[in-house]
Amino acid sequence: MRIGFFSGMLVGWCLIPALHAQEPDSLKAVSLSEVVVTESYQHLKNKNSTWRMEVVGKDFLREHFTGNLIQTLETLPGVHSMDIGSGFSKPMIRGMGFNRISVVENGIKQEGQQWGADHGLELDAFNAGQVSIRKGPASLLYGSDAMGGAIELAPLPLPADNRIFGEVNLLGKSVNGTLGGSLMLGIKKDAWYTWARYSEQHFGDYCIPTDTVVYLTQRLPVYHRKLKNTAGFERDISWTAGFRKERYVSSYSVSNVFQKTGFFPGAHGIPDVSRLQDDGDSRNIELPYSQVNHLKVSTRQSLLFDQSALTWDLGFQRNHREEWSLFHTHYNTQPVPEKDPDKELAFMLNTYSSAVKLKLFGSAVWQHTVGWDVQSQQNTIAGYSFLLPAYRRFTTGAFWMTTYRPKSTLSFSGGIRYDYGKIKVSAYTDPYLQIYLREQGYDDEFIRKYEWRSYPVSRHFGDYSASLGLVWSPPGGHLLQVNAGHSFRLPGANELASNGVHHGTFRHEQGDATLASERGWQLDVSYTYGKGALSVSVSPFASWFSNYIFLRPTGEWSILPHAGQIYRYTGAEALFAGGEVAFGIDFLRHFNYRVSGEYVYTYNCDEHIPLSFSPPASLRNTLMWRYKEFSVYGEVQHIAAQHRVARNEDTTPGSQLFNAGATANLRIGGVCAEVTLSAQNLSGAKYFNHLSFYRKVEIPEPGRNFQILIKVPFKKLLK
Amino acid sequence: MKTRNYLSAISILLFSSLFASCSDEGDTQKPVIDLDEPEEGAVLHIGSPVHFEMDLSDNEAIASYKVNIHNNFDGHSHSRASETEATVPFTFDKSYTEDIAGKKNTHVHHHDIVIPANATPGKYHFMVYCTDEAGNEVFVVRNIELSKEGGEDGHDHDDHDEHHHD
Repeated sequence: MRIGFFSGMLVGWCLIPALHAQEPDSLKAVSLSEVVVTESYQHLKNKNSTWRMEVVGKDFLREHFTGNLIQTLETLPGVHSMDIGSGFSKPMIRGMGFNRISVVENGIKQEGQQWGADHGLELDAFNAGQVSIRKGPASLLYGSDAMGGAIELAPLPLPADNRIFGEVNLLGKSVNGTLGGSLMLGIKKDAWYTWARYSEQHFGDYCIPTDTVVYLTQRLPVYHRKLKNTAGFERDISWTAGFRKERYVSSYSVSNVFQKTGFFPGAHGIPDVSRLQDDGDSRNIELPYSQVNHLKVSTRQSLLFDQSALTWDLGFQRNHREEWSLFHTHYNTQPVPEKDPDKELAFMLNTYSSAVKLKLFGSAVWQHTVGWDVQSQQNTIAGYSFLLPAYRRFTTGAFWMTTYRPKSTLSFSGGIRYDYGKIKVSAYTDPYLQIYLREQGYDDEFIRKYEWRSYPVSRHFGDYSASLGLVWSPPGGHLLQVNAGHSFRLPGANELASNGVHHGTFRHEQGDATLASERGWQLDVSYTYGKGALSVSVSPFASWFSNYIFLRPTGEWSILPHAGQIYRYTGAEALFAGGEVAFGIDFLRHFNYRVSGEYVYTYNCDEHIPLSFSPPASLRNTLMWRYKEFSVYGEVQHIAAQHRVARNEDTTPGSQLFNAGATANLRIGGVCAEVTLSAQNLSGAKYFNHLSFYRKVEIPEPGRNFQILIKVPFKKLLK
Repeated sequence: MKTRNYLSAISILLFSSLFASCSDEGDTQKPVIDLDEPEEGAVLHIGSPVHFEMDLSDNEAIASYKVNIHNNFDGHSHSRASETEATVPFTFDKSYTEDIAGKKNTHVHHHDIVIPANATPGKYHFMVYCTDEAGNEVFVVRNIELSKEGGEDGHDHDDHDEHHHD
């Protein structure tokens, strides 16, 4: 696994020029993943990027497969997963999450409800063939929402010759009774190719190694050590087609991801023992639950010339998220809705996006890339509760990036980008709140002020991002990358206009329509050494934000029922620093030992306290044996305690986890089966994930898990 | 090699200067609510004032507290808002700062909360929130019941001095 990871990184360096330039030829870039370790130094020497990047290929994805892409990537240092139960997660890179990380599939930025604490990324984990993680600012390439990093997904590599190809995947997990599968079928014939995939996963309530959870001094039972109503399922379908004729490459894809997962009722409203009784079924999804459907249609058109390449990505996405909870209100006058009485919140986000890029590589010494992005969004809402208003958002940005390579071991890259964005938020008044406030004896002036859950807001923003860096790769296996940049982020609709109590967070979260955009300076350094059996990498980073937007407790009591104080989005001067280190060595021919660690320091300079959601330091020791078609690994993972917390965030104790796994490629007749066995948390340790949605209700992470993944690829050559 | 040494020296300098200027001196310690009355499972008498008594403490300075009472009729979430009886589900929501703001320790005792005679009997949640001046917040929840018969009349601790009125 670790070899896979490291070779993936090496391949990454080779791939960077192509990715850096937005893969004007995606087919060419993908086929590069076939490059083997021995060749990579050669590539390393010549091709490079100032950005810190990790690329993982199919071996890594297979060995760490969890059915959830973000949990798979979490094994990389610097990457964390913010989990909502066992099934769904969203990414965090170097302490930055939510709207600061962009996930890009087929050149299109995934747009869901990533601002939400209980949002999971809507992607089919079976579909990822290769993943690149850009740690540090990627705003130059992807616009302001990528200031914390980007995750780029590429599909499985296409076969070179004419054939029918496909694969069957089967997944089973013990911790939550997951049964999953995926079927892919495709054909490549001359200039044409197409494939389709269908995946489904069902899982039950997940096991936690405890009989009780303590919440707000109330001890709540966990019957049969299963966390009630955390079952869920996922059903994904996708289709891709394309053709390549001489200088023209064209591809089209349509995908739909549907996810539904229950929420632990003890984490929903005030804990009440009566809601936690075992219902005798660990696979049912009762209220409260959340469901989301993400439809994505995209196309890429490329023209390749001898000295330039032109690419145009066009996409449409519809993210439809609903949260269902038995109708409840704090207002005595609010009637039960006639239609969908238990639909608490719903958001429908439509996104249209376009990205044009032109790469000029006429000169081997000096190359340029220019690009222009446009994105238009519309969000509509429904449900008996209110959190975020309807809004329209439009953003556009243009950039120029250039690389100057005076000699083969040294190159300088720089770029500048300007983004413009505008947002129009719809007004929303709450008639039941008005009546409630009157009943509470507030005067008219007060009521007029507070009955507005959302004011009509119209804002526009414009700012630049810029970066400058160098890559130095002297002979002897050294590689140094330095990148310094300025980036900014347009405030999201939630940061400008949300105003309500979210059941998941229990907090009255309020936007501030007057917020200025987020601005920061970021410095990333990465040094890697790889020669023979030895590999070392050190990647420190530091960022200073003159204005960093966070949810600040104001000390003002909320007038909304069942809420404490108001948490308002506020800008502050902030600091992020830290880094990752890794060391690996091959020994005794078939063994590899690798240790990697990471640390993130966050600091709110205005209030002299840490920022919330700071990932704890961690260290991973992995010993691996690899021989021909087999591999076995054992791993010890130390997670440090996180005592550096923001206000009203709990500290999290540290933990030590044992993981193990094995892979084998078995040939039975003419069929090759790739079997992967793995076990997580072998000791069944009770531990907490500081970044989990359930952390604040003191719910530990899943217990011991055994997993099996069987993949059977097949192909038939066409005559 | 020279370039690399130079760069690492810069980054080390930069890092150490950043860390030196930042110490976690902000207050992240929550205040403490020690709620004496009403107790868990208390039955409160409709038509009477509620005997409310607690101690608040904080490492720096208490800012404010808030009392919220709302019904828990269906034992699940909150009301389904379908009751059309002569009684009205009781709601109470009030914050207090006077006499406590700025103190490190304070004893609160009052009979400010009056349950009106038309309040619907049943199960309720009694919540107390407290914040300190930095915005650290804590809250406690008590399951209580409002009843026309029996229960506490709110005056079973008459010997206490009233430290706080509002």
